[in-house]
Amino acid sequence: QALPTRSSGSSILVSPRQKGNPVLACLRSIPWEYSDIVADYGLGLTTCALFLSLKYHRLHPEYIYARIRNLQGKYNLRVLLTMVDISNHEDSLRELAKTSLVNNVTVILCWSAAEAARYLELYKSYEHANFSAIRGQQATGYAEKLVEFVTVPRAINKADAVALVSTFGSLRHAVNADPEQVSIVGGWGERKVKAWCKAVDQPFRAKK
Amino acid sequence: MSGAPAPQPVKLSLPLVYQQKLFEELRKEDELVILARGLGLMRLVTNLLHSYDAAGNNLIVVVNAQDRENAWIGESLAEHAAISMSPKARGLTVVNTDFQTVGAREKMYTGGGIFSVTSRILVVDLLTGLINPETITGLIVLHADKIVATSLEAFILRIYRQKNKVGFLKAFSDNPDPFTVGFSPLATMMRNMFLRKASLWPRFHMYVAQSLEGKKKAEVIELEVPMTDAMKTIQTAIMECVEVSIHELKKGNTGLEMGDWNLDSALLKNFDVLVRRQLDPNWHRVSWKTKQIVGDLTVLRGMLQSVLALDAVSFLQQLDTIHAAHSPPPGTTRQTQSPWLFLDAAHTIFDTAKKRVYAGTQKTTADTNIDSLRPVLEEQPKWAVLADALEEIERDLYFEPATRDDSNGTILIMCADTNTCRQLRDYLQTMHVKPRTEKRVEEFHDPDEDRPSATFMMRRRLRNYLKWKSEFAHVSATLFAENQKALRGAVDPRLAQSRGRAPPNKRRRMRGGGGGSVMGSGRMENGSVAQYFEKPNEVSDLMAEIQITEEEAKQKEDIVVDPLENMDDYYQLYDMQDLVVIHAYEGDQDEHVLEEVKPKYIIMYEPDASFIRRVEVYRSSHNDRNVRVYFLYYGNSVEEQRYLSGVRREKDAFTRLIKERASMSVVMTTDAHGVEDAQDAFLRTVNTRIAGGGRLAGAATAEPPRVVVDVREFRSSLPSLLHGRNMVIVPCMLTVGDYILSPHVCVERKSVSDLISSFRDGRLYAQCESMFAHYRSPMLLVEFDQNKSFTLEPFADLSGTAASVSADRAGEQDLQSKIVLLTLAFPRLRVIWSSSPYETAEIFERLKAQEPEPDPVAAVRAGLDKDEVVGEQAFHAEPQEMLAKVPGVTMKNISNLTLEAENIKEVANMTVAELDPMVGREAARKIHGFFNRDLLDDEE
Repeated sequence: QALPTRSSGSSILVSPRQKGNPVLACLRSIPWEYSDIVADYGLGLTTCALFLSLKYHRLHPEYIYARIRNLQGKYNLRVLLTMVDISNHEDSLRELAKTSLVNNVTVILCWSAAEAARYLELYKSYEHANFSAIRGQQATGYAEKLVEFVTVPRAINKADAVALVSTFGSLRHAVNADPEQVSIVGGWGERKVKAWCKAVDQPFRAKK
Repeated sequence: MSGAPAPQPVKLSLPLVYQQKLFEELRKEDELVILARGLGLMRLVTNLLHSYDAAGNNLIVVVNAQDRENAWIGESLAEHAAISMSPKARGLTVVNTDFQTVGAREKMYTGGGIFSVTSRILVVDLLTGLINPETITGLIVLHADKIVATSLEAFILRIYRQKNKVGFLKAFSDNPDPFTVGFSPLATMMRNMFLRKASLWPRFHMYVAQSLEGKKKAEVIELEVPMTDAMKTIQTAIMECVEVSIHELKKGNTGLEMGDWNLDSALLKNFDVLVRRQLDPNWHRVSWKTKQIVGDLTVLRGMLQSVLALDAVSFLQQLDTIHAAHSPPPGTTRQTQSPWLFLDAAHTIFDTAKKRVYAGTQKTTADTNIDSLRPVLEEQPKWAVLADALEEIERDLYFEPATRDDSNGTILIMCADTNTCRQLRDYLQTMHVKPRTEKRVEEFHDPDEDRPSATFMMRRRLRNYLKWKSEFAHVSATLFAENQKALRGAVDPRLAQSRGRAPPNKRRRMRGGGGGSVMGSGRMENGSVAQYFEKPNEVSDLMAEIQITEEEAKQKEDIVVDPLENMDDYYQLYDMQDLVVIHAYEGDQDEHVLEEVKPKYIIMYEPDASFIRRVEVYRSSHNDRNVRVYFLYYGNSVEEQRYLSGVRREKDAFTRLIKERASMSVVMTTDAHGVEDAQDAFLRTVNTRIAGGGRLAGAATAEPPRVVVDVREFRSSLPSLLHGRNMVIVPCMLTVGDYILSPHVCVERKSVSDLISSFRDGRLYAQCESMFAHYRSPMLLVEFDQNKSFTLEPFADLSGTAASVSADRAGEQDLQSKIVLLTLAFPRLRVIWSSSPYETAEIFERLKAQEPEPDPVAAVRAGLDKDEVVGEQAFHAEPQEMLAKVPGVTMKNISNLTLEAENIKEVANMTVAELDPMVGREAARKIHGFFNRDLLDDEE
């Protein structure tokens, strides 16, 4: 049992309503403490989460709406952490999709208490993170870039990419090669040659 | 049925009884025809099309045809038209993205004729009313086996059948396998196609058997070729690797059903596909390692094939490439490498493959310690057999030179692919050339004196190989230098010492530098099999040894680039009057080859069940031609196994289909009005959970609900399902979003695999940005597959440590952490979770309730620059995707590039100065550098 201490910025705030929720047992890597908040979990200044088990939602469909109303427009990001613990989840999820649009909540699904806890931890620890991880600027080496480039057509695999470039010496030569030249490369069958030449020759935009 | 007159004024080319029967059936009623492979499906289709073509005044659409088939249909329709001199025949018009504009297409459709339209275009044209379904005389569907309920083709058929109850509809397939998986698959398939009759024509069908076996059969000589010991060793070693990989798979995925993953099934042609399919429902959950092993299985299976198909030198070359490509990425240890590379068996593979090419003899002199290498150059056993067969044929021709029939006396050699073609041609050209130092005349007068051998060819290949290898060593050094550096840190000292290797801290990229034996050193410091790079002096020795013949070889030109077209070329073979034609199996095209070449002798270098049937058909179709077939296969090899199991599987599939059809007939007759009520039938098939009121309410409103859909989304099944739920689909070229539900609601659809990849390249982030710029309520739809498990939880243990959630490691985290980041970045982004496309359709319906309808014009405008013309600007996805991978290309400048440059080739050939105005100096240099970096001279 965590003792109520002075609210520090680095822990997850948990509403006493959540007492007994197995998710709490799984919250291990980030400290948490009970606090009197309107949401179930306080994950930072602008982020909160409400926890909803679909099993409970089916018995008390009005519960979650009351809770959302109580948030009173506080918090910028309001996560509705939904645990999918029934097998016929379709109806409920359909309803929640509409709710999220109307009531301005973000639905996040999880399938186990461990996963729910992980989401909570992630939200807390990413509170001040930058978004470069999902903006896709990965600084990989030349070899990986090259392999990635060549393997865009689905028929071509990594080994083919290496074979291609090592035969032609540079990517430009490989791009400029005739189909006959490419087909001599070890491992390059007809299908691959076609896929490659098509990808390289095909105009970016279909002609009007 | 079409209104064509009963008497046929057309000339058909269907000589065999079963073909005629089938044709009559097809003229009479709509049906699904499943014909065994090799029995001439395309011939039937073209004849059928011609019979309609000749009647004129019609609009017939061929759905799901591949390029090659389009070419064939076009050609033979023209041919038929010329033969039967039908004035009304107009031939085939092919419609695909590249050329025709909307206006031109509309004009063509109203003109009528026979069209082959790409499915994606056809469905858009049908929805936009460019082609009126009611005016269509009939549809011909090829590759019917590919049509599942959610496919684009099924969507096309549904639109067609809704509006048009009288037009004909005939579906064809020559692949019975897909019709046997799942629950009552045939019935389901037929319902998808709104067909009520299935017509099955296996090889053992009565008419087929009668037509093919009634007269003289083709003479077949089977030649079982034993493999060499080295080949056997390699095959066994590969199988061992496969076994271990399977074991690893089982170990890593305990929760999955995989009882039938064993070595036997690993021999099957599509084992890796099978494994993949079994894992597919959970693909987004399995660990990275599992994915890698599945990839390894594909590689290993490829090796199984190439050890038989390729010559020893090429095989070694392929192994080198595979090995280089599978070296671990920088900064990783042995955990991330393919497990099979650590096996002794892997060592055996590489070692044996090398020994087939050259072996080392130790000549330790006092002052120098040089290993000299000598070429071994093992030949493929089939070559000698092939030469024997050719000789036998030659003798045969000599003793009975008078051909009593109208075959050409040509020898046709069939093999699996064009590479083998090239190999055989090389072999046949050079098999009597002896690499001797003394002067010798090339022509041979007495074939018995010289045994045919491939020495000449093999030596030439070895020379090329050695040249390649030295370049390759350089390239892979440049490419993978980082790996080696990284590996130095990650040494498993136990392994290194137990093998008595040089001190592990010594960096040795070049193997064999210090040790006495080149052959013995096989492992890298981390325990995986190391790449061999011979010392320069050894190589030069080897070169010197094989160089001798070079002068002599001068008169035979080294063929590097073949200007050959279509492989339909003929090679003169020495003193034979007749021709030897080498050709690769090409499915239905082989029929053409047989008809054109009219061979008297056929050598099947590799077994192929459907080609045997083609020969049977050819033989039976021409009374006056004699054919003798030589059939080569390696005994006890994967090749043999695969052939046999292929034949067996097809037979089983047909048997099951026949059984199902027998028990199904009742169901289909009670469903008499199925065609009329196509939509209900569809909904019954795809979804049993229709909320009773939902649909009625939708139908009752004055205006049916409308959804604007990006044309690129037609690759997915969702548009079809939305249409199935009575929504009006407006196909548009959208810049922002995939589906526009209302003026404010815009949806970006991502399947789980899309989601992963679009997180990786940052596409999703940019898409969200642009959605927020134009819409009030952007939504991200995470759509799971119908059959895939509806969860993101990985099989691995989730119980995280503090490190696993720390913010600075965000990049390499799992999907969950990226979703968290995305919602933090866009707090107002709504996430919809849907367990299947069917669910999505329902969710959309609900989301649209009480919302105003979207405006297509505004939707198209969104995201476009003001001066940009709103028009049909179809983009080709693949080249764009490739371009996006080039360093220096960003989401912003990519549109400039694609507007200015024509294709990848043009971008690759641009100078920095040319690129500069489009992307800026910095990016231009990056792009230029990416394409132009010369890996041969580059010193890092």
